[in-house]
Amino acid sequence: MKMKRRTFLKASATVGAVAALSGPQLNAFAESARPSKGVSSAAGEWKKTTCQGCTTWCPAEVLVQDGRAVRVRGNQLSKQNQGFLCPKGHLSLQLLYDPDRVKVPMKRTNPKKGRGVDPQFVPITWDEALNTIADKMMELRKAGTPEAFAVLRGRYTYMRDTIYAALPKVFGSPNGISHSAICAEAEKFGSYYTAGYWGYRDYDLDNTKYLLIWGCDPVSSNRMIPATIRAFGDLLDRGAIAVVDPKLTTSAAKAQEWLPIKPGEDGALATAMAHIILTEGLWNKEFVGDFTDGKNLFKAGQEVDEATFTETYTNGVVKWWNIELKDRTPEWAEKITGIPKEQILRVTRNMAKAAPNVAVWLGPGAAMHVRGAYTAMAIHALNGLLGSVDAEGGALATAKIPVNKIPKFDAYQDELAKEHSHMKKIDLRGSKEFPALKKGKSGGGVVTNAVADNILADKPYPVKVVIGYMNNFVFSCTGAERWEKALEKIPFLAHITTHASEFTQYADIVLPACITKYEKLGYVKTKANKYATCTLVQPVVKPLWDLKMDETEIPWLIAEKLKERGFPNLLDYFTNEFKDPETGKAPTNGLEFTEYNLKNQTAPIWDGKKDIGGDKINGWADFRKRGLWNSDAYPFKKRWGHFHTKTEKFEFYSETLKEALSKHAEKHKTTIDDILETCKYEARGEHAFVPHYEAPYRWGDRNEYPFDFVDYKSRLNREGRSQNAPWYQEFKKVDPGDESWEDVVKINPADAKKLGIADGDMVKLTSVVASITVKAKLWEGIQPGTVAKCYGQGHWAYGRVAAKNYATFEPRGGNNNYLMPYDTERLSGSNVRNGGFTGVKIEKV
Amino acid sequence: MARLGMVIDLQKCVGCGACALGCKTENNTPNRDVKNGQTFNWADFMFKTEGTFPNVSYTAIPVLCNHCSNAACVAACPVKDKAMYKTENGITMHNDERCIGCRKCQRACPYSAIDIVKSDTGYSVISFNKRKVETHAEYRDKTEMIPGCTASGAEIAEKAGATPPYETKYTHPDYESVRRPGVVEKCIFCAHRVAQNLMPACVEVCPSGARIFGDLDDPNSAPSKALAEHKSFRLKEEAGTEPNVHYIRSFKKG
Repeated sequence: MKMKRRTFLKASATVGAVAALSGPQLNAFAESARPSKGVSSAAGEWKKTTCQGCTTWCPAEVLVQDGRAVRVRGNQLSKQNQGFLCPKGHLSLQLLYDPDRVKVPMKRTNPKKGRGVDPQFVPITWDEALNTIADKMMELRKAGTPEAFAVLRGRYTYMRDTIYAALPKVFGSPNGISHSAICAEAEKFGSYYTAGYWGYRDYDLDNTKYLLIWGCDPVSSNRMIPATIRAFGDLLDRGAIAVVDPKLTTSAAKAQEWLPIKPGEDGALATAMAHIILTEGLWNKEFVGDFTDGKNLFKAGQEVDEATFTETYTNGVVKWWNIELKDRTPEWAEKITGIPKEQILRVTRNMAKAAPNVAVWLGPGAAMHVRGAYTAMAIHALNGLLGSVDAEGGALATAKIPVNKIPKFDAYQDELAKEHSHMKKIDLRGSKEFPALKKGKSGGGVVTNAVADNILADKPYPVKVVIGYMNNFVFSCTGAERWEKALEKIPFLAHITTHASEFTQYADIVLPACITKYEKLGYVKTKANKYATCTLVQPVVKPLWDLKMDETEIPWLIAEKLKERGFPNLLDYFTNEFKDPETGKAPTNGLEFTEYNLKNQTAPIWDGKKDIGGDKINGWADFRKRGLWNSDAYPFKKRWGHFHTKTEKFEFYSETLKEALSKHAEKHKTTIDDILETCKYEARGEHAFVPHYEAPYRWGDRNEYPFDFVDYKSRLNREGRSQNAPWYQEFKKVDPGDESWEDVVKINPADAKKLGIADGDMVKLTSVVASITVKAKLWEGIQPGTVAKCYGQGHWAYGRVAAKNYATFEPRGGNNNYLMPYDTERLSGSNVRNGGFTGVKIEKV
Repeated sequence: MARLGMVIDLQKCVGCGACALGCKTENNTPNRDVKNGQTFNWADFMFKTEGTFPNVSYTAIPVLCNHCSNAACVAACPVKDKAMYKTENGITMHNDERCIGCRKCQRACPYSAIDIVKSDTGYSVISFNKRKVETHAEYRDKTEMIPGCTASGAEIAEKAGATPPYETKYTHPDYESVRRPGVVEKCIFCAHRVAQNLMPACVEVCPSGARIFGDLDDPNSAPSKALAEHKSFRLKEEAGTEPNVHYIRSFKKG
């Protein structure tokens, strides 16, 4: 082996740091593969942080060489991802080192706002930027209308409460508006109004014998991605996987069964499965109970006397049968869903045979429908019938992560703030048409996407000064054109961001943010694989410019500016209440404030004062070094007999929902039936309290808009922030049916033939609200009558890769959110993205 | 002496792309050269969709250099002291310094193409760094999207101190951690890692555990055992190059 001279010279000068590298060792080659002369790796250190490319929130590590981030992997101590990340984790290096990152505060010099209007940004100092924001805020207080201030939240850590609760409320506004309802809440509704659990479920995949995946592709997106990828191959050997999805996903392609359901008809399949489980006596007797005399009286079409059945850990199985299930035969479901009766029977029976080691994985595709709340309940209720809730291999909740809330700020609110921070929020949550019944409370949850309409209508009052952080609602919310108009209307908009996104184009002031995972300090709570994890987001590298941390450092700087203008309350709160728990020292700047704030919130994890189970952490420095705390494993059957429902049972007849709906109806002095009608539901009477089938609600007449549009997430998405990375474009093809560097709409070849469309043709998709023009891909993984396209592409700003031409606002592909109209699953407040609610027509361009 | 090879378990593989990206971050390969049809993806994928709805199957096949025992690229290398050669542990190695950039290896390799767009092959094991054009063009570009406000690639590379800024620095007698213009490059089984008793990056990062790496001449190695247990296939066996990357099981369980 000859050595090049220049390499040899370099090698001798390099510090060999084999210790910095770890991972699987090639022990078999220990003898023959001793580091040979001239082979070395530069010194480096794996530093702990958290990947926030999706809501798995993977504990992660970054290899840092000479101050540069060069490699990424899972935190080797993590019990949820076992040290592995999905492709999004690796992709993020190109976000950190994106040539198009905003590096300085910017000011708009073109007063005209709109899509296609150049803001003519110019660089300004932090001082000028913050002075401008503080001046605008103080104008509102002087006018006695601090409620006209709002913070719009996007990608966050649990440091969020500083910027989106304390900042507006001490200032005098109720308006901390989160993005949560853009892509989640309807799912949580399903598990809450059956099992009393408002959150994403965890799944014990290592012990699952039958996995029924419903409306998501958990090896690609949704939650616990690396853990699912790791478990998938063995699960296929140990048991079986079935996937309910209108299109062929990666999970579906690998599974033993694919049930290509007609979009939005999931409720029919779920109720039919429940019908089969009951008529064939396949329910889990230990969990649900049984007929007193042991004889199964569930016969299709026949009512059953409730007194004949003794339930154990569930509530209302017979009521559910009588109200909804008795006529939900597999024959009926076949007609509605397009799935053959034989397959419905086979999947249900095989799944029931494996019970209770079964996980019915409820995904957003089956819940984020206009009428999706009851579908979500019906799907999660299968876990109840099969006794798989909290069972080995089943659908779990999560262990508690003991952290502190931020200190109370009431004492720092003056009269104006006290009064105005209790006004209605600008999403009008809890109004008659937006119950948003998070955790049983009318208006308990956010209705993110309603904000655009309310801004346009000045409801409940005009919004004048807005700070958005790491959000891009004009791109990420359906009915995106409404957001364009709403953002044009806001008199003063500041955006805290890493990139000049679509939202940024409407901003008056832009503040460059540290990027999460690499430059920011904070923490998140997450779970997967039976373990809850408190994991730190840490600045593993120093920012290349003067960037600030969005959730803590910037509020501190704003607080300083407000104090200069005669409003010291916020800075006083930060200074007095966020002392270092170890030294008692008060913060004197934004970075100290960030660290003390984090130390305060996470103190129970690292201060050793209380036995909290799980990992033993030896102080703050140890926590920073480890980067995470793993809980003990979630104990099976934990909630049996103690569900957080009204009856403390798993509710097939939801007394919890009955109470929530009753209270909401009373609040608006009307009936539950009227509420249901207002919320576009078909159910009346007792149907309102049981999981049941609702026919899908659709925008667009079938004659004019014959195709159902199927929207889903790219596995490389990082929530819409990764499209400016060339690696995203290069590997776009890892989304089944997709093409690299393209944004294709997939059409079944039979449909395409009828329309005279060939592979690669440009086509115009039109819905009742908008059109987008994209490339056609003829693909058999799409069922006839539907077309499917990933969400993610279609940026007309963001960067020079994400947009086809940033200077002319020309998008690469088309954003699904223009095509999809704005609608809401109103009971949960969730934005609607799925269930075939968007009818489209296709024309060759 | 060894015959390093890889077995890829398609049942475990979910086609996610972590291997391909892990490779790019370890080996600092450039972004695609669109004009010249070079991918620089040492680890890449082939995807196949077969059948008609609803009886349709989709398969992801991760691809990389096959480190053939009878490597066509080595045979084709015209340099006297070959730039493309087999190491004693079976790696098909490429020596940057001796490479004259003639691209005969790229033409000879059954898994490579001179221009992947023109040849419509989808991937190419060997890529060529165009002569006299500095690699990683994005990080040499001085233009700013919003003048004075957003960064430039060149600025980031300069401030970070490397091109590309995420360059994983290592040394190896045969190749640089970033290759120079005018030479070909391809997967070398992360020889610099293997020499330090580490797995290749694609193996290390694979979240599914689909990639099994080791000595195929050793019957007790993990890949040999996997081959003994399962039926396997190799890509383009008919080309006669005796590839050392094998595939077991199928993407779909059915």
